[in-house]
Amino acid sequence: MSQETLDPQKWVERYADMMYRYTLVRVKDPEAAEELVQSAFFAALKSQNSFAGKSSEKTWLFGILKHKTMDYFRNSKKNISIDLTSEEDQIHFDASGHMVPKPGNWNLDPEKAAENNELAQVLAQCLSRLSDKFHRIFVLKEMDGMSSEEICNEFNIKPTNLWVILHRARNQLKLCLESNWLNTK
Amino acid sequence: MIDGMMKIFKMSCKDVYPLISESRDHSLPFLSRMRLKMHLAICGLCEIYQKQLETLCRIARSLGKDESKALEKTSLKPEIKEKIQKWIEEKF
Repeated sequence: MSQETLDPQKWVERYADMMYRYTLVRVKDPEAAEELVQSAFFAALKSQNSFAGKSSEKTWLFGILKHKTMDYFRNSKKNISIDLTSEEDQIHFDASGHMVPKPGNWNLDPEKAAENNELAQVLAQCLSRLSDKFHRIFVLKEMDGMSSEEICNEFNIKPTNLWVILHRARNQLKLCLESNWLNTK
Repeated sequence: MIDGMMKIFKMSCKDVYPLISESRDHSLPFLSRMRLKMHLAICGLCEIYQKQLETLCRIARSLGKDESKALEKTSLKPEIKEKIQKWIEEKF
């Protein structure tokens, strides 16, 4: 089996934009994303010797970036309070027990929707409107596939709180998608 | 007996709908799972809501992939790219 090798001269051209976008959807703040990409490249340059050639160059670089992003989350989470009273559920029920607003008919196959770039762009905008706390927890759960248990440990929250946060974050995003894209089609 | 069963399973949308999101985050207790299943079988709107969450989460998963094309027009500032390239050249 051929061993993978590193070609640092080509890193910026090949991966810089991809790494920046990957980080930006996760941390929201463009400056923080720029910093993280730079520090990932810097760490990669310093630790080239640790590249064993078992994974691809891209996987290795993204692995470093993921670590840096997680460190960033850990270091800044102290500033994030988990106060649920400030962010009520945006979906309500009327006196007769009906959901308000009523869910629209999206007419979308979930699998096909996942391949729709335009829809992903709208979601990226909707995501940036979430509070830092909701944003981070949603990202770890839905983009990075982190388990509920791990997230509770990271943020030191109870599972019941996590479920409420995810429920409200999903509702905010759902309503945002509905008003910014689906209703206009 | 049937009345008792109906009471256990009869839940309003308001009671059931948080379970739709929660079922994505942990495995629901048996009774909740049954209630949700029964409710979804008879409530079209909650079924639509469930599908919407499924769609939302799939879009999010795809947006988070390294090869996502959603932010294609967004790139790292040229001056930052130059700075990184310079570090790299200096290492050689």
